[in-house]
Amino acid sequence: MSVLAVSNLTKRYHRGGKPFAAVDDVSFEIGPAETLALAGPSGSGKSTIARLVLRLIEPDAGRIDFEDADFLTMSGAALRARRARLQMVFQDPLAAFNPRATVARVLNDPLRVHGIAPRADRPRRIAALLERVGLDAGLAQRAIHEISGGQRQRVAIARAIATRPSLIVLDEAVSALDVSVRGQILELLLDLQRQERIAYLFISHDLGVIRAVAHRIFILDAGRIAESGDARAVIAYPQSSVGKALVAAMPKLVRDRP
Amino acid sequence: MKRLRRLLHTPEAIAGALILALLIAMALAAPLLFPGDPQAIAGPALLPPFRDWSLPLGTDRLGRDVLAELVHGARTSLAVGLAAAAAALLIGAVVGTLAGFAGGLIDEVLMRMTDAFQTVPSFLLALAFVSIVGPSLGVVVAAIAISAWTGPARVARAEVLSIRERDYVAGARVIGMHPLGIAFREVLPNALPPVLALSSVIVAAAILTEAALSFLGLGDPNRVTWGSMIAEGRTVLRTAPFLSIVPGVALVLTVLGVYLAGEGVVESTAVRRSLS
Repeated sequence: MSVLAVSNLTKRYHRGGKPFAAVDDVSFEIGPAETLALAGPSGSGKSTIARLVLRLIEPDAGRIDFEDADFLTMSGAALRARRARLQMVFQDPLAAFNPRATVARVLNDPLRVHGIAPRADRPRRIAALLERVGLDAGLAQRAIHEISGGQRQRVAIARAIATRPSLIVLDEAVSALDVSVRGQILELLLDLQRQERIAYLFISHDLGVIRAVAHRIFILDAGRIAESGDARAVIAYPQSSVGKALVAAMPKLVRDRP
Repeated sequence: MKRLRRLLHTPEAIAGALILALLIAMALAAPLLFPGDPQAIAGPALLPPFRDWSLPLGTDRLGRDVLAELVHGARTSLAVGLAAAAAALLIGAVVGTLAGFAGGLIDEVLMRMTDAFQTVPSFLLALAFVSIVGPSLGVVVAAIAISAWTGPARVARAEVLSIRERDYVAGARVIGMHPLGIAFREVLPNALPPVLALSSVIVAAAILTEAALSFLGLGDPNRVTWGSMIAEGRTVLRTAPFLSIVPGVALVLTVLGVYLAGEGVVESTAVRRSLS
């Protein structure tokens, strides 16, 4: 039983008239409450896979099964309803929100769209979500641009868990945060995974972060899977040239830590 | 208060705001200052200005009080100008947002329609519309709006094209929001500032178009308008030029005031945008 099963996924773009595959015949599965990391240099197709899995763009070939249903043939209201179970957290928490929005509106949207709580009950739900991600409930009335980057990313996580998803795609979700905040956000993600049994597709170029949170890792190179396996094992003994290059790019202190 | 002070940071903006404030006060106070029908006969015909202080701007060919007509005319000019501009901006913003956000065939169809409207000279379009439907205030507003919505539509579409690629639009899709909800709740409000920047130009053009239509006798016949006053004065232009000059100057000042105030608004929002 897997939450997400991707098989033979391919996405081609045209660059200078020539077709080139941004994602080339990629297959993987994610189980319940599992964290699968996608690593690779920039341009290796990590973010394209994230957007394909979320149906923000359409693949040229392949199959995506989400919660044992064919996700690619869904459309209209059925697709929108199913999106409640498959959420995303973006890299830049400022760009991820409507610049005019308040925290309350950002968290109200998923509750409203999916009819999760009656209107009168929503302020209480919003306060509970904020507390769940370690924020003060009084933050609800603040504008998005008034709060700090770390707080914003917590709000993004609160929005993602509002609809009780089984899978969250984290596209470089901690890369834009400074180191101390990054640790707190990673703790929060691990805690949520334990409590709510959420699976993560964790996209990052930072192997140090991946080793701290991921169970398995897939290393991508030019749209193809270069190697895969247990996250700690692959990072300790990379086999592919891309894997070796990524490990070599890690700070030495981090690399030598057990 | 702070916003108002920023708005009034240039002498041009202050002048524009003053002219507009005066006009709006004049339009609002018209029934108080000159109760009754402004088209009623008030004295001897063709009385020149500044002779009789009960009729300070004189009388026209039929002995009507020019100042009363002028003040009541301000109501029509401003009402038509603002209503037509509001309608044009609304139609333009909705069409532009749908075209930009939907893309593909819908975009093609809507933008070719915009092209079609834009290739017909806008004044001729308004003229044709009024002559077919018949002159009344609502028809004049509609006629001006259908000839002015294309500019806002193009600007809105261009802005939407850049906004729809932003992460927060993808975020709204991930949440499962309906595409129309995304277009009108998330995208449109953020695409509005450059569209609203057009409003001063459109209000000014609408006031001029209304005056031109009235001048040609296609305004609402039951209302005094500056255009119809100029047309009335034209027949006695040699003997009583003030009958055309007075409403003409009012028209020039109004358009100037709208322009200057509009520029002030655009500049103050531009400062705010570059600061954020």
